[in-house]
Amino acid sequence: MLAGVLLGGVALAAPPIRFEEAAAQAGLKFTLRNAAAGGFHQIELTGGGVAVIDYNNDGCADVFFANGAAIPSLKKTGPEFSNRLFRNNCDLTFTDVTAEAGLAGEGYSMAVAAGDFDNDGFADLFVTGVKGNTLYRNLGNGKFADVTAKAGVGAGKVWSVSAGWVDYDNDGWLDLFVSNYVVWDAAKEPRCGSPERQFYCHPNAYQGLPGQLLHNNRDGTFTDVTERAGIGRHIGKGMGVAFADVDGDGLTDIFVANDSVRSFLFHNQGDGTFQEIGLEAGVALREDGYAIAGMGADLRDFDNDGKPDLLISGIINDAFQLFRNPGGGKPFEDYGQRTGLLMGTRQLTGWSLGMFDFDNDGWKDLFFGLSHLAELDRYLGRASALANRVFRNLDGKRLVDVSAEAGSDFQIAAMHRGVAFADFDNDGRVDAVVSVLNGPAKLFRNVTATDAHWLAVRLRGVRSNRMGLGAKIQVHLADGRDLYNQATTAVGYASSSEALVRFGLGQSSAAEWVEVTWPGGEKQRVAGVEGNRIVEIRQ
Amino acid sequence: MTLAWLAFVAWSAVSPGYSSYEKANRLFVAQRFQEAFTAVDEALRLDPKLVPALTLKAKMAMAVNRFDVARQSLEQALAVDPRAQYAEFLYGMEAFLTNEMQQALPRFRKARELNPADARAALYLGLTCESLGQTDEALTLYREAARLERVAGKPQSDTLLPGARLLLLLGRLEESEGWSRQALALDPKSRDAQFELARVLLRRGQAGQAAAAGEEALRLAGGTVTDAQIHYLLIRAWQQDGKAERAEHHAQALRALEAR
Repeated sequence: MLAGVLLGGVALAAPPIRFEEAAAQAGLKFTLRNAAAGGFHQIELTGGGVAVIDYNNDGCADVFFANGAAIPSLKKTGPEFSNRLFRNNCDLTFTDVTAEAGLAGEGYSMAVAAGDFDNDGFADLFVTGVKGNTLYRNLGNGKFADVTAKAGVGAGKVWSVSAGWVDYDNDGWLDLFVSNYVVWDAAKEPRCGSPERQFYCHPNAYQGLPGQLLHNNRDGTFTDVTERAGIGRHIGKGMGVAFADVDGDGLTDIFVANDSVRSFLFHNQGDGTFQEIGLEAGVALREDGYAIAGMGADLRDFDNDGKPDLLISGIINDAFQLFRNPGGGKPFEDYGQRTGLLMGTRQLTGWSLGMFDFDNDGWKDLFFGLSHLAELDRYLGRASALANRVFRNLDGKRLVDVSAEAGSDFQIAAMHRGVAFADFDNDGRVDAVVSVLNGPAKLFRNVTATDAHWLAVRLRGVRSNRMGLGAKIQVHLADGRDLYNQATTAVGYASSSEALVRFGLGQSSAAEWVEVTWPGGEKQRVAGVEGNRIVEIRQ
Repeated sequence: MTLAWLAFVAWSAVSPGYSSYEKANRLFVAQRFQEAFTAVDEALRLDPKLVPALTLKAKMAMAVNRFDVARQSLEQALAVDPRAQYAEFLYGMEAFLTNEMQQALPRFRKARELNPADARAALYLGLTCESLGQTDEALTLYREAARLERVAGKPQSDTLLPGARLLLLLGRLEESEGWSRQALALDPKSRDAQFELARVLLRRGQAGQAAAAGEEALRLAGGTVTDAQIHYLLIRAWQQDGKAERAEHHAQALRALEAR
């Protein structure tokens, strides 16, 4: 009871996390088109990936949107289906540079992953789709080149929902993990629902697929090591992917949120192979053994104990899952009920998500992009469109839904899908860009009235991959607190967030020291780091 | 009972289809579904407005996932007799089973009004409320369903389990355990009740007891809880109890199930 009173006091005292929607005034004009026309094709439900990428290295976060295509041709038959790249003009306005960048794309695009696979200092893009993935190399002059065939990453021609860049073998070059969903053919779409009321089929109506792991050969090409790595024998229905070193052995592990079958945690064994340990780790299923419709995922330290915890979204009546990593080789603990997340999300359907410290108080909060499945309105008796939700993290113990205080723009329901996180206006507060199915994308500018300090770390790997993805960072504050985060762009569902590693410092204006553990275990400590700035740490 | 008997007398006295309906009912109970369908169609050919036959046809249709046929039959039945409580309850079930919770809600409410002593209507109205996020009302209805069964002298183990599950989700662990233990007392061979008890014990940190309850659940047949669900619980229970080998045994068993 006392804890509740104290925690309640914290909630009341803290300034509300607030967002203003600024997409239109910023010129970020994009509508995600899924080409739904009454055919109830399964692919219409997914897609909507968003990436944050500073493609021109000007220090301002740019935005890429993946878009759909006509069905059944799966061709981008008009400009309405174009993928889009928006350059951030560094004044919170954006310019559509899709054409000059050469990123309009082909096919029915789903997701996007940003990462500098060739270590040339320019982040590249991998765009997944239905029966076709594309790798775009950033040429450094504002243009991208389709290097899919040359790189050898286009094989498979399946339906890939998410992807992420990860240096799984710590050789200093980013490899690629692709999350594949189900076998799908427009001509063989099963018909579901009642005769008079058709609806999208349950994923059970489709055969699942394994994920795919592509090893970077350091020469612009990749080798498919799916089978050799032990990934290929695990058939799932992959949605979001997240990476982190869950057991502290210096090797990045892979989590795949599966839809309606159990999720996978691939433990990196350090010899190029992975062991699937979702069951043993306690993250494969909901507490009652039920396989939720896993959507987005984020592996990040929720309670500042230095170990990455796991957040997964699902659909209505699943409840979103939060698993705490106790470390020491012990399985994850189900934290959904005790933090309040479980009952607070049971009536929601979540897509992308992220754990970021929106009020810079030192505790990572939760952001969920929400909407029920399209056309579910008539079954629910209420709209499929939902307003997004933000949960404040109270000392790593409780999560409080503070969405109602997050501003009027935040209350507007829509068919939200992908979400990517970055500080678009470089004011130290984490913003979010959200794609909307058949509606205008949203840019939630974080306007939380806080005087809390912050720090962002840009990593420059030398022996490690240039972006430093997979690196773990510990920030030590003068008041004795330690904060933890890691470098990853694989966040949420189908989306890719900024590579900078952010920390809310609370009332501390500086860090006594910042320690980077680079992939492979090499440690590097920087003392006396002033806050309220982006600091670059070079390996 | 008196009302039902009067209805039986009334239908059998006036309906030319009643004997066919009775035959269909017997065949349905004997799980001779095709013959039952033929007999009920014969009953309805003889008397298209025979409410018990329309209701039975709906029940049979739902058993083979023909919800469209069930809905049509029930709507016909309720058009003939809007106060046919069992037809109204099945009408709610038709919506519930097709995930049309907003439609199920008023149907179960009406079924409750027509017969406030019907524990099934209270239970399913509770389940509907819970799926729509109305947890307080759901819990009240679960309590009411259990009370009605006690009053009728027919308490059922399964009726207590939704309440046990919801209380567990709400973190009211002591109450949840109480409901699970009551369910188990009513039916010591209930796999589902054993599983719920194991879940709450695990949540309460009593891993050894949870593992024992889970192992017992695995030995029991029937119910809706799958072997996979129990294995998953046992992995975590044995892990927490420090018995890694037993946990691994269940992980392997679960993987073997998945491979089938």
